[in-house]
Amino acid sequence: MINQPDLNRQQLEPLIRVENLSFDYEKKAGSSLIDDVSFSLLQGEVTLLLGASGSGKSTISLCLNGLYPEAVEGYKKGDVFFRGREIRQFEKGELNQKIGIVFQDPESQFCMMTVENELAFTMENIRIPQKDMSSKIDRILEAVGLKDFQKRPIHQLSGGQKQKVALASVLLLEPELLILDEPTANLDPVSSMEFIKLVSELQKERGMSVFVIEHQLDDWVLFTDHVLALSQEGKLIADGRPDLVFKEQLAMLGAEGIHLPKDITKFPAEKHKRLADKAPRFLERTISISHLSFKRKGNVILDEIDLALHKGEFVAIVGENGAGKSTLLQLMAGILTPYKGKIDFLNKSLKQWREQELRQKMGFVFQNPEHQFITDTVYDELAFGMKLNGTGERKMKARIDVLLDHFQLQNHQWSNPFSISGGQKRRLSVATMLDETPELLLFDEPTFGQDAKTTEELMTIILELKEQGTTVVFVTHDMDLVDQYCERTFVLDSGRIVFHGHPEKLWKNEELLHTARLRQPYRIRKQNLKQQKAGETYDLVR
Amino acid sequence: MISSVNPALKMVAILIPGVLLSFSFDIFTPLIYLIFVVAFTFMFSKISIKKWLLLFSPFVFLAIGFAWMTVLYTSDSFAGGRVLFEFWWFEVTTGGVMVGISLALRSLCFVALSLMFILTTDSTKFMLSLMQQFKLPPKLTYGILAGYRFLPTFKHEFEVLRQAHRIRGIGRAKGLKGRIHQFRRYAIPLMANAIRKAERVAIAMESKGFTGETDRTHYHQMSIGRKDWAFFTSIVGAFCLVIIASYQLGYLNIFGVQF
Amino acid sequence: MMRQWKLKEIVLMSIFGVVFAVIYLMFYFFGQGLRNFLTPFGLAPFGYEVIFGIWFIVSIIAAYVIRKRGAAFWSELIAGTVQVLIGSPAGPQLIISAAIQGLGAEVVFLATRYRNFSLYVLMMAGMSAAVFSYAWGWFQSGLAALTPGLIIATLTVRVISGALLAGLLGKYISDQLAQTGVLRGYALGKEWEEKRDKSA
Repeated sequence: MINQPDLNRQQLEPLIRVENLSFDYEKKAGSSLIDDVSFSLLQGEVTLLLGASGSGKSTISLCLNGLYPEAVEGYKKGDVFFRGREIRQFEKGELNQKIGIVFQDPESQFCMMTVENELAFTMENIRIPQKDMSSKIDRILEAVGLKDFQKRPIHQLSGGQKQKVALASVLLLEPELLILDEPTANLDPVSSMEFIKLVSELQKERGMSVFVIEHQLDDWVLFTDHVLALSQEGKLIADGRPDLVFKEQLAMLGAEGIHLPKDITKFPAEKHKRLADKAPRFLERTISISHLSFKRKGNVILDEIDLALHKGEFVAIVGENGAGKSTLLQLMAGILTPYKGKIDFLNKSLKQWREQELRQKMGFVFQNPEHQFITDTVYDELAFGMKLNGTGERKMKARIDVLLDHFQLQNHQWSNPFSISGGQKRRLSVATMLDETPELLLFDEPTFGQDAKTTEELMTIILELKEQGTTVVFVTHDMDLVDQYCERTFVLDSGRIVFHGHPEKLWKNEELLHTARLRQPYRIRKQNLKQQKAGETYDLVR
Repeated sequence: MISSVNPALKMVAILIPGVLLSFSFDIFTPLIYLIFVVAFTFMFSKISIKKWLLLFSPFVFLAIGFAWMTVLYTSDSFAGGRVLFEFWWFEVTTGGVMVGISLALRSLCFVALSLMFILTTDSTKFMLSLMQQFKLPPKLTYGILAGYRFLPTFKHEFEVLRQAHRIRGIGRAKGLKGRIHQFRRYAIPLMANAIRKAERVAIAMESKGFTGETDRTHYHQMSIGRKDWAFFTSIVGAFCLVIIASYQLGYLNIFGVQF
Repeated sequence: MMRQWKLKEIVLMSIFGVVFAVIYLMFYFFGQGLRNFLTPFGLAPFGYEVIFGIWFIVSIIAAYVIRKRGAAFWSELIAGTVQVLIGSPAGPQLIISAAIQGLGAEVVFLATRYRNFSLYVLMMAGMSAAVFSYAWGWFQSGLAALTPGLIIATLTVRVISGALLAGLLGKYISDQLAQTGVLRGYALGKEWEEKRDKSA
């Protein structure tokens, strides 16, 4: 069901009008990736496009600026009008000046080494005279808050800064429509919030239309005028004002696997209690670290770290990018050697472990699952570790079947690990660590780039392992996850542990959260909001 | 200053002696030119001697290794002169030693020329001047720059892959077959990722209005002026002078033919 | 010159160039080690020759994947230039050797008018690159100073290496990549898809 378009909208001449758009990568009969979609975007409006992973959201954005179907040799049907003119009638490059896009991956949207040159590249494309460039660069960097970054190499910037550079270079086009394609998906919570705030300010100031594609929509909803939603079959299933859409079509959107604003969904507070508040009953130590320091190129990365983890414990290590979280994890896994200090794993110094035994008892799941794949098929991935361990043929087959079944990979056992979906890759990367149940399982940002559904599937598996006695360590930016699942949290700041204890205690220490650039989980923010008087401005940080 | 010379012309200037030196097989020519290049580098750039030596010295060892090999395997047309000593089945002659030293000096000349280029040139400006002065198509210029930008990313990714493989127990795979598999295990994920990035970057560039047309403005306006030609003339001219001097003094040897 | 090329193909080609520049440099040092190892056996000159084919591989991969005029030449040239920029001991004349090697491979693809990319053609391209590079090395790196017997032996080894390490290995790696599905938007990926559709 589609909402009745409201009358005010219909009277205005739309900036973009999409009529019966269908798109597919391959020519085939039957339904397309995007199936017969029609909608309009208005001048000065902020529109939010929702949809589960794989529903073709990004594809739509590239159909709007005319890069698709040509860039991917796809097949498109239907029309897209920009101010009443079909986009095929525009000269090559002409439309790209009117529609700017910021993409998801901060690593792959630049072609120049430095901020200055990247911004210049955009201006050269639209033939801005050389004499005007310097002043424009100054102004735009000022606007996005990167004033002193002009000469900096882009690869040295943080993810959040990179996305701001991307935004700045797009704004130099002075576009009438700004498309944001999951721009904060790869950012930490504070950077993501800053980015959204920046966009909302710039939008108000410049009055341009904004079209946002996003999974995590909580912070966007606050200034959205219009919501669209795509079903998994690529059909438009909602089109209207956010308050109406979220009121009337909530159940249907949820059923489609679309993230909903946490404001509206009931937060599972009971579940939270059940998981994180269990009284600690840990006796056996899995790993203990004392006086650990680590240096890289003369810089102190970790300084005098002491910690001990116990059997069956679920622990999070949090902190700002560059605080040393991943380094600590790598030291625990024995893939880095400490500069100073001692690490004992199962009451034996890490140095004394034989590599093979160590790898059986301990697993490590990397941020990008693909990095861990070493064979041609899903089946071989699972068999690899067992073959090295000398597991017997029959036992191995049985174990692989169990794993395939458990991780819902049965139908893909002969697929190439690189060709399966993101969620499946993530599950496979965990499964490869389970040729035997490990004592310690370390995760580096395991939920990065995963949607709600795949995250939940992952967590179910992890909790089962925990029940079997595996100690689980997460390095993560996701405070909601920490709040919901972890029994203890370690906060790292500039290489030191500045806090350790129950997450509940951490959320109360606002000063610490601020210095470590952390954000409270949604549950706490909401509680705080309730305490404030209704109608007061949202404070997004706390 | 060398750093302000037009990079494309600088490259050409360096390639000319770089190629022509290959024809000389005597000691005098590369030695004198090497001295010239090193002196020129320090006179007209701000490169610190310490940094330069740090980069240069490993190549001295490589050059010595190269020279030693040539000494052992010199062909008859070069291996003239007295037999200095013999061991195993090798016969070391004065001619062989001369050629060996010459080749070593020549390779050091290449290194010195390269260092002069690398340490004084911004790679972006190099590409831009290839586009602006040598008419390289913008599509290729910016395509290459986009690819080059991923270099630091690869380094990082390679490091992560190594760790990830260790976790999977790859260290335990051995032998030649294991080695080949290892190469594949690095190459496939690195390249698969690179391919996805190529696609994304290309789309990002086009969505910023890049069409590949040559009609564009330039933030860095590159040009070739008098100063650039002065550099060109010094590098190439000095080489000619060295050749002439070496001919006059009777040292010049091209392909084993003494002039 | 690059009219019929898509931007993403150019970027892909240059990323290949960058990746292989790094790999080439690693093999340079590997070859150095191999040579030191072979020296006591009196086989030092073969140290590099055995692995020489690896230095042509990017031509084969780029041409096989993208299948456009110039892919073999430009990718090799880019790999050579990037090696110089990241500091190869071989120096700036590496750019010229790269161009000549790339040309060697390109000639073979040109001869098939960019229509045949069978294993046989890819191996021929690798061998042609080997011959071209040897001809250049003849003057440039002092191969002329070696004994004739050694010259024939080293040339033979290099040509075989070109066929195997560039042609065969290049095809193998490209096919492996196509299997991962990331090449969907390029000529090789499309060929794979067609094959799969036919067999399905």
